[in-house]
Amino acid sequence: MAVAALACAASATVAIAHHSFSMFDPAQEIVLEGKVVRWAFTSPHTFMIIEDAAGKVWAFEGAAPPALLARNPPMTGDTFKGGDPITVIMCPLRDGRAGGASGLFISADKVVYNPADAGCRANQRIADWPAWIEKGYKSLADAKAAGEAKAQ
Amino acid sequence: MKTKRVLLACALGLLVAVSAPAMAIAQVLQPVPEVVAPPRAFKTAEEHYNYLKRHHRGGTVHTHESVPKWEGLWEASYNSIALRGGVSPFFVGPIPPGLAAGGEVAEGVLTPEYEAAFKQRREHMIPFNEQPYDRLTTCEAVGPARWLLEPYVREWVNTPTQSWWMNDLANETRRVFINQDHKNIDGANSPTGDSVGFWAGDQLIVWTNDMWPADYFRGYPPFSNEMQMIEVYQLVQEPNGLSRLEAQVTYYDPISLAKPLSGVYTWTRATVQEDAGYRIRHWDCDSNIQQKDANDLTTIRLPGEDGKTWHQHRNPDLPADLSGQTKTPGEVDFDSLIGSAQ
Repeated sequence: MAVAALACAASATVAIAHHSFSMFDPAQEIVLEGKVVRWAFTSPHTFMIIEDAAGKVWAFEGAAPPALLARNPPMTGDTFKGGDPITVIMCPLRDGRAGGASGLFISADKVVYNPADAGCRANQRIADWPAWIEKGYKSLADAKAAGEAKAQ
Repeated sequence: MKTKRVLLACALGLLVAVSAPAMAIAQVLQPVPEVVAPPRAFKTAEEHYNYLKRHHRGGTVHTHESVPKWEGLWEASYNSIALRGGVSPFFVGPIPPGLAAGGEVAEGVLTPEYEAAFKQRREHMIPFNEQPYDRLTTCEAVGPARWLLEPYVREWVNTPTQSWWMNDLANETRRVFINQDHKNIDGANSPTGDSVGFWAGDQLIVWTNDMWPADYFRGYPPFSNEMQMIEVYQLVQEPNGLSRLEAQVTYYDPISLAKPLSGVYTWTRATVQEDAGYRIRHWDCDSNIQQKDANDLTTIRLPGEDGKTWHQHRNPDLPADLSGQTKTPGEVDFDSLIGSAQ
């Protein structure tokens, strides 16, 4: 029974925030590199703001602090600091504005963090994304085009 | 029998998925709590409450020393109504995973009008695979029914005369007035309604009325402004020594329910958050404001999109460059970031 329970757990897609996520496009997972401008460890949602190489500022919504404390590795308000290099895998806003849902954060020392709420399912590919980034993929579409994400 | 075991396993699996990952599997794999129906059928919450009060001979009058202590941070665990148990009286068979669209609506649980409304909500979800607008978008209080199962953490503080139930979500606090009668000098319902209760030994029995119409959870049925609830709380010690807070809840709503509906809700200690030093703070709804767009969908206002800083939003009568007006010393104004870059 325990195996069945875990199997069902693994297949579940869970939304645990206070609002709908329909404004984000979970079918797109996009890689953005930049520097942390602000990490807001706030309820109801955490927010990561980064500036990309072109100077464009982006904002990404993530799960709430109680959830991030229980992730592996856990995150607190001190985990990311202004100026830190960071890679964000995010699911963009459908309307094209400079924001989206946080999927994964990868720090300069290659630690992979899972800040996702239900707006982005990149965390379901947490084992794949570091290698995909090494290969130069900039999106889930790139990985699929290379035949890497057939089973996803 | 095998099917029943698989369904139970799926329920437990879903519970694992929706709970903090650090929750020990051993803690999760406890027997699923049974729903305890009221001792007999009651037409109203008032009948139910008064019966229990008579049954318990007016209840137990606790002192500060004797009143049960439920302090600490708690997180929602298994329940039999929505999301966290894998089952729900509002669906036939296992519920759709997470908050996804789909599933078969159970017939005869809701009144015909509310069953049709629920089916309409489920139909509306299909193109988005979720409910595309949630009334909590604007930080509305969740209301008592949804309070029971929402994520985030909560605290219970019991005194002989009041119990204060504080939820991280929207910072919605429920106050239960012990051994008192309902009062409503507002002449109107409120988001959390009015709750009175009494102790019967270590059980707390609560009657709530005068609530705003709300819902059991996102994607679940609405209920009416005539909803009333009876909740019976007790701290349960598991054989493995862990504590579980359990509430047997019966909903009475002649407008939305075909007959009174009973369910069980549970909570476990949020030890990971406690050990990390987490403390409930007031919600910061300005930093990522959700709003309804022109198509009645939830969207977010990105910080600074309207060109105003946080300080300018809240202090329009003060100089825009007044020192010391970011939330934290040394902080770049959150709202100025995107606005200044675009």
